[in-house]
Amino acid sequence: MSLTTAIDDHRLDATFSALANATRRAILTRLAEGDATVNELADPFDLTLPAISKHIKVLEQAGLVVRGHRAQYRPCALNAAALVEVSSWAEHHRRTWQERFDRMDDRIKQRANRGRDRTR
Amino acid sequence: MSDATRTDEAVVMERQFDAPADVVWQMWIDPDEFSSWYGPNGASVYVVTWELRVGGARLVRMTVPTPRGETTMWFAGEFLDVVENRRLAYTEYVSDENGNPASTSASGMPKPHPTTEVRVALSEVNGRTTMVMTHVGIPADSPGAAGWTVAFDKLATHLRGHPAS
Repeated sequence: MSLTTAIDDHRLDATFSALANATRRAILTRLAEGDATVNELADPFDLTLPAISKHIKVLEQAGLVVRGHRAQYRPCALNAAALVEVSSWAEHHRRTWQERFDRMDDRIKQRANRGRDRTR
Repeated sequence: MSDATRTDEAVVMERQFDAPADVVWQMWIDPDEFSSWYGPNGASVYVVTWELRVGGARLVRMTVPTPRGETTMWFAGEFLDVVENRRLAYTEYVSDENGNPASTSASGMPKPHPTTEVRVALSEVNGRTTMVMTHVGIPADSPGAAGWTVAFDKLATHLRGHPAS
């Protein structure tokens, strides 16, 4: 768990950033109704396919969207789990800090022991 | 330190240490001490810039092993409050190696990563220190927060009944 905390943290930041864009939120809203190909996603927007693809890539990197590996269509799907995780920002960070302060406590105790050894 | 411009997204933690306040203070302000506990196990944390004064810059590099090799990240920010053995506050955001905000540019419109704020208050009684740490999330007035709220309002409806895979 603790090994992945920093990576989680980083991905959480990416998720927040990915959500801070109207087009990308619209894409997620569309995917919440069902999987879709890039072409289908591009349809309602006045955007080129490369532009839509870039948005999808951002969502993919943030873990919000997963893509199929079959055929050339590679349909996009919403990763609802990532949204659930991001909905508990505070809970996630609480765990991170808990672990940090455990290590801080260990460090303080080590210092205290070293101090005692010196004065012995 | 007004709470009026902040969202409710905050972590508040209280912790007691069997040590005087100056020892706990060192844990936060000495780069070597800070590096020793801040990162997750297996990560290496290196303090690049550390100007410990109000308005001073901070830049921390973190290298984390992943199954696909090492990942290096930078976190930059500014010290907001520095009162020895009592109070510390700083901002933090994901940055590049020079401390410039990392952006997730998709449509040519760079969006900086959200800035969060960490505040620490120490009080010592009989050689023991109580530490209260507050980590405030996305400022309510930031573009990120606006998008954030809207995103959830819209998505919450759609997500009801959607299986959390």
